[in-house]
Amino acid sequence: MTTPVKQKKRSGLKEEFGNPERRTAYYMILPALFIILVVAFYPITYSLYLSFHQANINAVGNFVGLQNYILMFQNTEFLDGLRNTLIFTVISVFFEFIIGLAIALAINRAFRGRGLVRAAILVPWAFPTVISAVMWRLMFQDQVGIIQYAATSLGVISDPILSNQTLLLIGAILVDTWKTTPFMALLILAGLQTIPGEVYEAARVDGASVWQRFFRITLPLLKPAILVAVLFRTLDAYRIYDLFWAMSNRELESLSTFVYKGVRISQLNFAVGNAASVFIFITAFAIAIFFIKVLGMQTSTEE
Amino acid sequence: MVERIEGPKESAVLSEALAFAGRGMNRRDFLKLAGAGAAGAALLGVAGCGGGGGGGGGGEFTFSFGPDPSGTLQELVDRFNTEYEGQYTASLREMPADTGQYFDQVRTEFQAGGGDIDLIGGDVIWPAQFAANGYILDLSDRFTEEDRQAFLPGPVESNTYEGKVFGVPWFTDAGLLYYRQDLLEENGFSKPPRTWDELKEMARTVQQSSGTQYGFVFQGADYEGGVVNGVEYIYSAGGEVLDSNSPDTVVVDSPEAIEGLTIQRSMVEDGIAPQSVATYKEQETQTAFLNGDAVFARNWPYLYALVADPEQSQITPEQVSVAPLPTANEGDQSASGLGGWNFMINAASDPETQEAAYEFIRFATSEEQQRFRALEGSFLPALQSLYEDQEILDAIPVIALAPEALRNSKPRPVSPFYSDMSLEMGEQFNASLNGEVSPEEAARTLQGSLEGIIQQGQAV
Repeated sequence: MTTPVKQKKRSGLKEEFGNPERRTAYYMILPALFIILVVAFYPITYSLYLSFHQANINAVGNFVGLQNYILMFQNTEFLDGLRNTLIFTVISVFFEFIIGLAIALAINRAFRGRGLVRAAILVPWAFPTVISAVMWRLMFQDQVGIIQYAATSLGVISDPILSNQTLLLIGAILVDTWKTTPFMALLILAGLQTIPGEVYEAARVDGASVWQRFFRITLPLLKPAILVAVLFRTLDAYRIYDLFWAMSNRELESLSTFVYKGVRISQLNFAVGNAASVFIFITAFAIAIFFIKVLGMQTSTEE
Repeated sequence: MVERIEGPKESAVLSEALAFAGRGMNRRDFLKLAGAGAAGAALLGVAGCGGGGGGGGGGEFTFSFGPDPSGTLQELVDRFNTEYEGQYTASLREMPADTGQYFDQVRTEFQAGGGDIDLIGGDVIWPAQFAANGYILDLSDRFTEEDRQAFLPGPVESNTYEGKVFGVPWFTDAGLLYYRQDLLEENGFSKPPRTWDELKEMARTVQQSSGTQYGFVFQGADYEGGVVNGVEYIYSAGGEVLDSNSPDTVVVDSPEAIEGLTIQRSMVEDGIAPQSVATYKEQETQTAFLNGDAVFARNWPYLYALVADPEQSQITPEQVSVAPLPTANEGDQSASGLGGWNFMINAASDPETQEAAYEFIRFATSEEQQRFRALEGSFLPALQSLYEDQEILDAIPVIALAPEALRNSKPRPVSPFYSDMSLEMGEQFNASLNGEVSPEEAARTLQGSLEGIIQQGQAV
């Protein structure tokens, strides 16, 4: 949104509400606005309010300022969750992006059976996460698991994968990369197809090498698609819940699993769990802002 | 049993935040606010329930319980309704199979101001948590001292909070030691082990001579079942988690409790149990034992029926026997972790409905109905007398094999803050079993965090 647009809006405020037709339009959307207020804005504000109070599930107590947040940062489970989530997000999104980009470039070419390949590549992504998580858990398992068997036979590891936090986290990153790379590839592929072929032709005529074409044409023109894809995946990975719990049998902590434990299982950690959910909300919001403002992601097609 | 967490994907922060609206504040306020607008009516439908207790007067009441594949539950309700036709009517409401979700749902209804459930069939770990909040009715006057004598002591204890009784035992469950009688006999052991040391000794001998993969398997994962296993080791060494006379006193940092955890850890250290036992739940334990890969296994009574099923089991009932769990020292009292289900009555229901619900409890816990559920559904009765009933002993061999274990089961710590304690215990027991912390450290950490929970809980 650029400044001129804003100015136009401000000066048009009177006209906006003065015009009876427009006024009617606003009346018409009021119920929708009201519902948004009730189901989205109010709960978020309320949980923000709760996070500054001593609260359990039944009642709201005294105002305690930032105490819930302080307790949260002293909680080792929260810190574990935060660390795991950050490592998981950065590494899995990185690999998903690199591999996804490579796949997208490969299947962007015309070859026989391209439609089939594009459909087939989406299979891992089409599985419900809980199902693929349980499937992988079985493969990591020590009695019947093929991965545990292979890794132990090769002497790569000696510990059971499922009882070692580091191996579990590596496993989770692996599974997530396996599962969501196709999604990344698909989004990037969509971006690739919007690049007109003439640009490449012109570059070739000018004598640009393959690498020059990739770095000077493909990547810059692909930037909007890449940013959207990476932002989606980053936010998704940041809120990871189902994969961690189903695959590790709740032994691997993430920010979201911490919130779940706090507000749904525990009776006493409600306030801290709630503070953590506000923390996730605000940090996720900050990540989105970072992508939009700093990396220059376009949020609309206006420009 | 007791599998606690398998929440659906709660993807967005928004849905978390949404959840607060329903539970963080009390739901009535939320509804009032929502009801103010045009959208109120729709939201009311979404939020469901809402208002105060009771399925109405006239002897009608709602009874909640999880799904029952055996079909004996509906039959029980039908029998009651026929017997008391024109007087009382029970209607069954099916709740989630997952104990944790069931608990969460009932708790949410109570918080909303009563809910529609009048009679709750609930897990043995619930009574104190509900009672402390005044959600369930004190049954001390109805369920008299004399009545209680007829029941197994463990389940009654699980219903007792601050000297009052808040529930009536329905059916029970207890940790048992399964062992391969054939392998033991081949190696010259005529009796099951009485102490953990004997168990290790036997397991080692059998493993060496018969090449059995695992000596002993049990549930060591970080979940409710892992908590039961952990406290069993502590109990078996004479330790406690909370002082049984004053539940606000944490006593887990004691030499006895540490000894218990040390024995548990030594199973892994001595190679009797696999390192991965720290990830095992009932399922993994069961698989290892039924495949003939383990000499000993700790599991619930249900496993015995599976041994007899050739489709599930590579071993036969002739090869297997059952014993009470071993103890740390010769001559100690063996203590099995208690599972099972109790009846509780909603405190917010009207007195007439409560009366009807209690009539149902009386009916369902009678000898006749307990026998019916035992014979038809293999539910272990909570009444002492039925443990000498020949018909039941024939139908459920596991009772005949280890009656002592079933009678001497011991509940997990009874506390209004059990959910929080369970999370801490699960984590520390698992870390100690895994070798991440020493048993001493686990006990010390647990002592601190449980004391913190009690303090925090009393402050709220």
